[in-house]
Amino acid sequence: MALDTVNVRLLLRTSTFQLSVRYMLLFTISVLVLFGILYWSTVGSLYREINATIEAEISGLAEQYERQGLSGLIDVVAKRVQRKQDERSIYLFADSSLRLLAGNMDHWPQDLLATGRWFEFNKATANGGTVPVRAKVLSVGRNLRLLVGREIHELAELKRVFKRAAILGIGAVLLVAFTGGLFISIAAERRVSMINRTARQIIEGDLSQRIPLIGSRDEYDSLAININAMLDQIEALLSGIRHVGDSIAHDLKTPLTRLRNKLEELSVDGSRDGTQQIGLNKCIEESDRLLATFNALLRIAQIESGAYRSAFRTIDLAEIARDAFDLYQPTAEEKQITLACHCDYTERLFGDRELLAQAIMNLLDNSIKYVPVGGHVELAIQSESDRVKLTVADSGPGIPEDEITNVERRFVRLDQARSESGNGLGLTLVRAVVEQHRGRMIVENTDPGLRVSLELPRSTLGAQ
Amino acid sequence: MRLLIIEDDKNVASFVSKGLQQAGYMVDIADNGKDGLFLATTETYDVIIADRMLPGVDGLTIIRTLRASDITIPVIILSALGEVDDRVDGLKSGGDDYLAKPFAFSELHARVEALTRRQRDSRGAESSVLEIGDLRMDLLRRQVERAGRKIELQPKEFELLEFLMRHGGQVVTRTMLLEGVWRYHFDPQTNVIDVHISRLRAKIDKGFEQPLLHTVRGAGYRLETGDVNLSSDPA
Repeated sequence: MALDTVNVRLLLRTSTFQLSVRYMLLFTISVLVLFGILYWSTVGSLYREINATIEAEISGLAEQYERQGLSGLIDVVAKRVQRKQDERSIYLFADSSLRLLAGNMDHWPQDLLATGRWFEFNKATANGGTVPVRAKVLSVGRNLRLLVGREIHELAELKRVFKRAAILGIGAVLLVAFTGGLFISIAAERRVSMINRTARQIIEGDLSQRIPLIGSRDEYDSLAININAMLDQIEALLSGIRHVGDSIAHDLKTPLTRLRNKLEELSVDGSRDGTQQIGLNKCIEESDRLLATFNALLRIAQIESGAYRSAFRTIDLAEIARDAFDLYQPTAEEKQITLACHCDYTERLFGDRELLAQAIMNLLDNSIKYVPVGGHVELAIQSESDRVKLTVADSGPGIPEDEITNVERRFVRLDQARSESGNGLGLTLVRAVVEQHRGRMIVENTDPGLRVSLELPRSTLGAQ
Repeated sequence: MRLLIIEDDKNVASFVSKGLQQAGYMVDIADNGKDGLFLATTETYDVIIADRMLPGVDGLTIIRTLRASDITIPVIILSALGEVDDRVDGLKSGGDDYLAKPFAFSELHARVEALTRRQRDSRGAESSVLEIGDLRMDLLRRQVERAGRKIELQPKEFELLEFLMRHGGQVVTRTMLLEGVWRYHFDPQTNVIDVHISRLRAKIDKGFEQPLLHTVRGAGYRLETGDVNLSSDPA
């Protein structure tokens, strides 16, 4: 899982990461509590023990003073100092100007004057080092001070170890929680982006897309299963609608064809007079037009069903464009429209020759229909890195700006003026073809004129 | 000329057979695949019109069986589906032509004529020269002349004329031209073909007393000399 594949800033904003930050804080607090309890029960109890020892000594010495007076106290202190077995005890007895009267340190530690409070200071040792000492000062008689203390070397060491362990521990917890949170977020973000990617593809019109399942049976999988089931349902409904539309077109087409055949039979019969024959021919023309519209609808439905995709192969778009140009050249010439084709090079892409030919022909047809006499229509192919762009630009009246967005939408026909002689389905078909090729249709006014561009990816193999 | 129609839809069968009988063909009808296959293998026909979807043995199986037993009678497949791969499937199985239902009778008639004619032609040697009246096309030198006068044609115009000459005397529909000359199997729904035809007509008929290229109303075009009418003489 490489970090660089995901946008880290986006990642830090994910709810999973936010959640893991909260967990990180919770962890830190619990570690702190744990250390607190440990501290209290180890270092704390040692302190309490030392405190108790010192307190006991102080009360013993205070008792001595009460019983034997000052000289007695000095005696006892001197004796205790000489008693080598308890080297870790510190005794100091000093007068009001802190001059030492007895004790096992060579001077009174500075600033330690307040009585009845716990002090800690460092005592210089013989070998030049220092030793931490915990002590309490007792005021004796008038202005005399007695300091009783204990070296707390082990305790200080333990405290230091504890402190280091706490810092390291909390640091490690933070680090593990952070990276863990990040990785969990990446994993979650992957799943979510899988769902997002599929959703986007569906928005772009490929309803066949489904969210891939991991097989972990986690909540993402069950979400994906549900969404996929929902999409199946939508697709079934859509194809149902499409099927109904197709069936209507199909069902109407059959009787319409019968009608047309009957009319044709009557027409060939030849027993009718002039006006009847003309009327009959008009009827045949009208039914042909109706059939053509049904055919166009059915063709669009067929294209949109994706049925052609299985027959896609590598084709040369330029050749298709040249063929369409050849087919339309005489028509354009007859209308005195200059039709030009800039498609000299081979442009291979993956698609269907007939669909693309029909799309190009529809565009040329449209342009030639609306460009006034003397105008020009240009068919061009531009090669871009990963796609091929086919453009049909004309010098016609263009499309009103507010209609352009309508063209971009499906099943919307242009106003009467632009679609009077056709069935208004020309661009709908072009759009359907382009979508099947995973491409894009762009309609722009060029003032004067209209330009329709088809951007087709060079290979739609991978896009399946 | 004897035809076999294998079609289970009685409406379609009677409408097609009526039309073809009027056009001078003898027509047999089978309403299921089994009978159809039996007739096709035991009798002699010039063209078979077979529906793709049939009870019992389907249309494609009939064609495959016929081809497997070296019976080369041309077959037109009729299909109600009209889907993409149908045509390809139909032609792959050995069908000679394909027509999606519903179709105009003139379209089917034109295709039946084209196949019976092809049948007749293929019995003789393949000629490198095509002739209709005083119009002459040399396929090897790619030259066209009428009454000894050379006619300059664009490559597509040459192909178009070749197709029309190969189907001389028959009605050729716009769809057949699109399929045969431009290799498009869809209906462009415009009069592009008409413009090509009128250009060709200007080149081969202009300045000659007798026109060769005729428009058949509601159906298509026919290339023929005025005095011979092949389409009314299918036998």
